[in-house]
Amino acid sequence: MSKKEKRNILKRMLEIRGMGQVITISVGLIVLCIVFAFLNPMFFSSRNIGNLLRQIAPILIIGIGQSYVLITGNIDLSIGSVVGMSCMISATLMTKGINPWVAVAITFVCCIAIGIVNGQLVASCKLPPFIATLGTMTIARGIAQIVNNNYNTDTIGNAAKGFRDFFYYGRFLNVYNTIWITLILWLIFNFILSRMRTGRYIYAIGSNSEAARLSGVNITYVTTKVYVYSAICSCVVGLIICATSGMGTMDAGNGYELYAVAASVIGGVSTLGGQGILLGTVIGASIWGVLQNGLQFAGAPVAIRNIVIGIIVIISVLLDVIVRRDKPKIKKDNRWPIQNNNNDVKA
Amino acid sequence: MSECIVEAKNINKSFPGVKALDDVSFNLKSGEVLALLGENGAGKSTLMKILSGIYSRDSGEIYFFGKSVSELSPKKAQAIGISMIHQELNLCPHLTVAENIFLNREITHLGIVSHNEMNIKAKEILNKLNIDISPETIVGDLTVSKQQMVEIAKALSLNAKILIMDEPTSALTSKEIDDLFRIINKLKSEGCGIIYISHRLDELQFVADRVTIMRDGKHIITTNFKDITMADIITYMVGREIKEKFPRIPSKRGKKILEVVNLNAGRLIRNINFELYEGEILGIAGLMGSGRTELTRTIFGANTKESGDIFLNGKLININKPFDAIKEGIVLVPEDRKKDGLCTKLSVRDNISLPNLDILCNSIGIVDRKKEKNIVNNAVKDLMIKLPNIDVEANKLSGGNQQKVVVSKWMARNFKVVMFDEPTRGIDVAAKVEIYNLMNELKRQGIGVLFVSSEMPEILGISDRILVMCDGRMTGELDIKDATQKKILEYATKFDNKIAVS
Repeated sequence: MSKKEKRNILKRMLEIRGMGQVITISVGLIVLCIVFAFLNPMFFSSRNIGNLLRQIAPILIIGIGQSYVLITGNIDLSIGSVVGMSCMISATLMTKGINPWVAVAITFVCCIAIGIVNGQLVASCKLPPFIATLGTMTIARGIAQIVNNNYNTDTIGNAAKGFRDFFYYGRFLNVYNTIWITLILWLIFNFILSRMRTGRYIYAIGSNSEAARLSGVNITYVTTKVYVYSAICSCVVGLIICATSGMGTMDAGNGYELYAVAASVIGGVSTLGGQGILLGTVIGASIWGVLQNGLQFAGAPVAIRNIVIGIIVIISVLLDVIVRRDKPKIKKDNRWPIQNNNNDVKA
Repeated sequence: MSECIVEAKNINKSFPGVKALDDVSFNLKSGEVLALLGENGAGKSTLMKILSGIYSRDSGEIYFFGKSVSELSPKKAQAIGISMIHQELNLCPHLTVAENIFLNREITHLGIVSHNEMNIKAKEILNKLNIDISPETIVGDLTVSKQQMVEIAKALSLNAKILIMDEPTSALTSKEIDDLFRIINKLKSEGCGIIYISHRLDELQFVADRVTIMRDGKHIITTNFKDITMADIITYMVGREIKEKFPRIPSKRGKKILEVVNLNAGRLIRNINFELYEGEILGIAGLMGSGRTELTRTIFGANTKESGDIFLNGKLININKPFDAIKEGIVLVPEDRKKDGLCTKLSVRDNISLPNLDILCNSIGIVDRKKEKNIVNNAVKDLMIKLPNIDVEANKLSGGNQQKVVVSKWMARNFKVVMFDEPTRGIDVAAKVEIYNLMNELKRQGIGVLFVSSEMPEILGISDRILVMCDGRMTGELDIKDATQKKILEYATKFDNKIAVS
């Protein structure tokens, strides 16, 4: 009996929607790690693992934001620019001698404003999300350039040491703070998506927004909230970058919006909405990070890394499309016999 | 006298579970207008789709111009000279009239499109029909009637000899209808055969030569138009046998619960007034496109209203979006379950709990999964939804079970008024009966039930009172004791008299 129950729990785990693909790509991730470990034994050194995780962290954070947006059936192209904006605003304020934590608060407010604009343009004004966020992407980059008169900032100085330690250099239980921040963000956002009302609404909107509306869901409010979440994620990454380099760079986060799409999509989030889990985004971001790190270790130039990652994105989506195309056939064969399965439901 | 250009003999066509056409024969002569009449679901569209090659027939023979045609595809039908003018026009709104007429047959010289020549040729065709439209106009800028004429011109440029017109006058004004009839008469004189489908019986006298009436997929009668009266036409159209038994339960009508006063929203909701009582099933009958779905959606707040008031329990309520209606206790089971009712990629559990998350969540918005599971399991049990477990994706269920999921979404809530829009469309008999039983149970509990249906037998079998809509207006109200199919159809075809008697 207990054995059967155990099997049931395992089965239930497998039945979480999207788990299948997460397992498939996890296998891919493990294979990649083994290959790189063979190519370079130092790949698994504790030092490199620390680096690797800190390389993955920002991609995972923006991946969480992008996954949220993608699950509602939209896209957020402003991510990279908001990262740059966050980096530049916080650094500029700190070089002007403002208390780092006040600067962080102001930075959050600015980034959230971009998220609200995105959400309103998409949900209230019904602009295509691609166009709306393309616009805010350009605007946010412009803001990143204008805050310090078209220059990168000077170093944020000693006053900001606490800030830099908090976001990057500090450790807690011998683990870098960046990794803790990422972990906490992931836990919060995963909880919202899987266990809270907002999460249910996000999936419902992505699956069928009209049905969601007719069920009483406030589409505008939820969509805006999702874009704000995405902006918050980007903001955190901007702060991490600022803390890392100790200065503001105008083109920080360049291209990150697409890395975020890549991490989400490799992790099984559907660009059509309604599908995907954040565990997948973790694996997706990890594959991205391992490839970057591993190829770098193996001495491959940036160009090769880009080509390989591009190919991986295409293959992972292609696999998904092929699996989905075959599905209806399987479904027909598996038509369960018509019977009342209430017992099964209770189990 | 004149030659038979279409002859269809013993056509049969079945869809899973329905016999759509049962041994139907009819013919069309050159230079005549044949009016094809019948209720919703009588098989008119199926027959026309077979003629134009969209559906294939199961058995039977079709002769065009005396020649038997076995396999028919849309392309082949076009080559033979059959052209169908649909209710929804099939033009590219951003292209010019000439470009539309010659779409896919552009006149080219060395691969370069000759707009000049196309415009000249298009003008010739339009002139022949006495249609005053410049071939260089963008189609999207034309009125609907002009677009329809472009469509006719396009059909003629394809040398169409057989024109099928599906409800061509529904969106036209009286002046435009005159123009259309003039063109129809011109086409007739040139030897075209026209099959004219319309529910507006009063218009037939201006165009029809013969009528063919269908019912339940069967051919009922074909006769010269002047040999038949309007009353006879309606008698032939109805008279559908009521085979199924409907589980009607008697109940005492309570107090007035919902009152709609002077509701207006676009062309399909015009000055609607009605009231609904507790413990009553109010049927709303009407033909397709008569505004029934729009009415339910407007009351629910899914469509915006232009004017009018809605009273619930005598209190004026303000509904701007579905959420407002749900909060007041008015819920809607929408018509198209795939489009409006279900998140098909999500599990049955997610679908059922979606509108109930306000009661399933604690104050900070965490879903109480135990409570959720209880609600979902109860709903599944109450409606006898057949599924392997509640986490199965909604689109893996059969149509009937999907419909039950859509219905059960609301059953966990307390509501006062429920609107069912075609709840039994496309589901099997057993599932239908379960839906009827559910409606009766709701009625017994004193809930006001609004029931939209195109199926006369079920609306007569289950409602306590029937409202009939036609073209966005309420044209009749019938107590169930006096309601007959014939009366309903009379009201349902009571169109505005657009044609001035000449």
